Amino acid sequence: MGLELIIPILAATIQSGTPILYATLGEMLTERSGVLNLGVEGMMIFGAFFAFLVSHYTGSPWLAFACAGILAGLFGLAHAVVCLVFQGNQVVSGLALTILGVGLADFLGTPYVGLSADGFSPFSVPLLSSLPVLGDIFFKQDALVYLSYFLPFLFWFFMNRTKWGLAVGAAGENPAACFAAGLNPVKLRWAGIFFGGVLCGLGGAYLSLAYTHLWTNNMTAGRGWIAVALVIFAFWRPGRAMFGAYLFGGIMAFQLRLQAVGATLPSSLLLMLPYALTIIVLLFSSARGKGRQAPAALGVNIEPGE
Amino acid sequence: MRKLVGIALLAAMVAVAGFGTTVAQAKDLKVGFVYVSPIGDAGYSYAHDLGRQSVAKMDGVKTFYVESVPEGADATRVVNNMARKGDDVIFGTSFGYMDPMLKVAKKFPNTTFMHCSGYKTAPNMSAYFGRMYQARYLAGLVAGSMTKSNIIGYAGAFPIPEVKRGINAFTLGVRAVNPKAKVHVVWTKTWYDPATEKEAAKSLIDIGADVIAQHQDSPGPQEAAQEAGVYSIGYNSDMSAFAPKAHLTSAIWNWSAFYPVVIEKVKKGEWKADNYWWGLSEGVVDLAPFGDMVPKKVQDMVNARKAEIKNGTFKVFAGPIKDQSGKVRIKKGEVASDKMLTGMDWFVEGVEGSNQ
Amino acid sequence: MLGFTIEKRQEPLKWGSFFIFLVALVFSLGVSALLLAIQGKPPFEAMYLLWDGAFAHDWALEDTILKAIPIFLCSLGVAVCFRMQIWNIGAEGQYALGAVGATWVVLSMPEAPVWVIMPLMFVAAAAFGAIWAIIPALLREKMGLNEIISTLMLNYIGILFLEFLVYGAWKDPASFGFPMTIMFPDTAVIGELFGRIHWGILVCAGAGIALTIFLKHTRLGFEIMVSGENPRAARYARMPYSALVVLVMGVCGALAGWAGLIETSATLNRLQPTVVVGYGFTAIVVAWLARLRITSIAGYSILLAGLRVGVENLQLELQVPASFTGIMQGLILLSVLAGQFFNWYSFQRSKRG
Repeated sequence: MGLELIIPILAATIQSGTPILYATLGEMLTERSGVLNLGVEGMMIFGAFFAFLVSHYTGSPWLAFACAGILAGLFGLAHAVVCLVFQGNQVVSGLALTILGVGLADFLGTPYVGLSADGFSPFSVPLLSSLPVLGDIFFKQDALVYLSYFLPFLFWFFMNRTKWGLAVGAAGENPAACFAAGLNPVKLRWAGIFFGGVLCGLGGAYLSLAYTHLWTNNMTAGRGWIAVALVIFAFWRPGRAMFGAYLFGGIMAFQLRLQAVGATLPSSLLLMLPYALTIIVLLFSSARGKGRQAPAALGVNIEPGE
Repeated sequence: MRKLVGIALLAAMVAVAGFGTTVAQAKDLKVGFVYVSPIGDAGYSYAHDLGRQSVAKMDGVKTFYVESVPEGADATRVVNNMARKGDDVIFGTSFGYMDPMLKVAKKFPNTTFMHCSGYKTAPNMSAYFGRMYQARYLAGLVAGSMTKSNIIGYAGAFPIPEVKRGINAFTLGVRAVNPKAKVHVVWTKTWYDPATEKEAAKSLIDIGADVIAQHQDSPGPQEAAQEAGVYSIGYNSDMSAFAPKAHLTSAIWNWSAFYPVVIEKVKKGEWKADNYWWGLSEGVVDLAPFGDMVPKKVQDMVNARKAEIKNGTFKVFAGPIKDQSGKVRIKKGEVASDKMLTGMDWFVEGVEGSNQ
Repeated sequence: MLGFTIEKRQEPLKWGSFFIFLVALVFSLGVSALLLAIQGKPPFEAMYLLWDGAFAHDWALEDTILKAIPIFLCSLGVAVCFRMQIWNIGAEGQYALGAVGATWVVLSMPEAPVWVIMPLMFVAAAAFGAIWAIIPALLREKMGLNEIISTLMLNYIGILFLEFLVYGAWKDPASFGFPMTIMFPDTAVIGELFGRIHWGILVCAGAGIALTIFLKHTRLGFEIMVSGENPRAARYARMPYSALVVLVMGVCGALAGWAGLIETSATLNRLQPTVVVGYGFTAIVVAWLARLRITSIAGYSILLAGLRVGVENLQLELQVPASFTGIMQGLILLSVLAGQFFNWYSFQRSKRG
């Protein structure tokens, strides 16, 4: 394979990886606050649908993008009600959220399948796009991709350098100590779930506003689950999340191009690649072990009266 | 609490009795349609539903439909329920409904069953389909005339005969006007997934394809072509709205030319089990209007060939036709039988890619 | 301030779960009806149609029970896993592998007499399903790999593997190239017992009884039962914990494999990609709602199967999309989860009040 094929693969890698990156950071934020939310897939598809809906009616992609995030965040609050108020099991509640989200988006969205809406299109960043190789890969994308380049850094800065970020982290590491320090870990977790949901919704919105300008049922196709896996792979750190998301974007872009050049492998086997890679990648990171620290109180509910 | 549930149930039943139900009048012919995907998809099921709508406009006919019915056990139940509820004619529009419909047809000898895209029939069950490959061949002529890179991309849905037959006919069309051109195939294993299908088209564009054809229902590949500044060929219905600068033409279905005819036959008592395979000449398949970028010369050539197919002087799968490995599959002077077409499982020479 | 405080109960409320479920069901149906009303569909008629299509006729009940069979088998194993806090959401893939295993036997010895082929099909389906479950169990115990992720990814891989076989090597040469295997010979078909109900239901009964005996009358089973919510604290006298995880996952996979076998053999009579329709995911809902009571698992399986079947009636009469099932399942699960709070906590009038 020559450079003329590798550059488009890498450019496609960035694009395929972007929705996963948004969702991975979202789930990471929620988990850092101590809550496991397996509803990522549900929140993503919810965001994807409402992004399309709003853009279809208003013609404003940015408004649609914002609405998708907020609505997905609000939808995710169902998880907060169940787990933070009613002490429900976080694993099952998250699964229920996914089942509900996929169903709702499908139910509400069926009349909109096949319509089109305005969205984001690629544009070249002045100067940077004329860099050799790198320009073609990184700087001929759409606005949401450029935005996502800053996200991991913002995430890191928020969690490590701001008062609120450190408080959220404390709610995930040691809610009792957090409480003793005069903070309310339950409120912090509400925030963690909401803003995590917002990011997942933005990831979904990417699919219906930028990746394509169309809506269809099940368009997230398991990307939410890959995001959940990537949080573990990334050791709850934003920089590694970016690496992981692009790794997956890469394998998705690669398997289709392998077919295009005329590979005679059965397509079923090629389609397995991203899922098999998830397991291998997780094995690789758990075998190395170092730095593999989940937030200490992840998945543990804060009982009332404690 | 039980009391509460009881009251709710009671209320529900009273409400239902009050509402009355939308039962068709006894003399109305009840016609049911079973679709494999949502009808809103602007694709395959949508095309069938347009046909249903033209049936619904007929006098003394009432139509019903169920969408998104998975092929397999669920299909058996849905078809069974339709027959049980008194539907007189039932159309199943996906290949996987064949065995389920055959099962149900045996139990309801007075109901008429119409199965799309299969090959099994019974005294009260017909098979029907359209010769989409004829339109595909014409689309191939257009693609072969328009390509400059001699690489044409084809986003395939599932590796089944219907799709492969289309790819083969398309490739024969391409190579009839441009023997050096190759058709590269990427399977998405989807019928409607805009993200994957768009990505598949982009992957084909990346290897140099300058015309993109597709078998899926979503306009994703059209979008990819438009963005990359290459040409595209749509499917199912006229997809020009999604990619006005790229869209050369589409291979389209027109079930309104078939469904009302069947219903008319049933009403007159003239229906009998058969294997209907209608094509260009009956108007079940066609080409969408050409885009402005298609030169007049090409349009005339395609229209001339279309007329030859319509009057039967030209056959798409006329030998000699070789497969991917160079082996002769259809000998000179022979024409592929409908049986061979139904089970077409190989690629003609000029197709690049895996056939599974 | 409101004069109430929340206190944890010593014992969960007796019969509480059932009432909570009823309230949750009514709440979920209410919200679903509201959704329908928003779309301009008559909500009461819809609820009646749902009931009518799922339970109100002989044929409806038959359909529901037929669908409940694979759901029940998948749920049994998942319920045991959940009790041990092993989050196996891979029943779907294990089901697919079971179907593959059974079909492999049929294709390699289509001529064999029924007393050879049938037992071998059950052995192969159990073995294939179990392997697909033991892989994530081992990865979890040996490598610390999160089983939620691994079982989920193995679902995708298992289903694609099934497709790979059916689109490729196992394709029936007489099927005109369509993705399906040959029709199973009569010796490999699970026949009808009464009405349309096939004897797969006896497998359900057998598995259910065997599991009950294991849980109630063996020490190991008893320990699984009592370990309850905190498995790490419980001591497993006979076996190391890791081995127990592998065992439980293996049993779960085998049962899901049987579900795949039964669905392939009894209702499709051949292997097709469409055999996989999401029973494994419904099983997660059933397993969580029913916990480890076998009769509850049967009851909830029938209920959720009824929902799926009843929604088809809704589709036929009111053109409600099939995804309506998902909405109801999700709502029921969420509201039961929330409701279970009242099982464990009570509101007490505050003394300072």
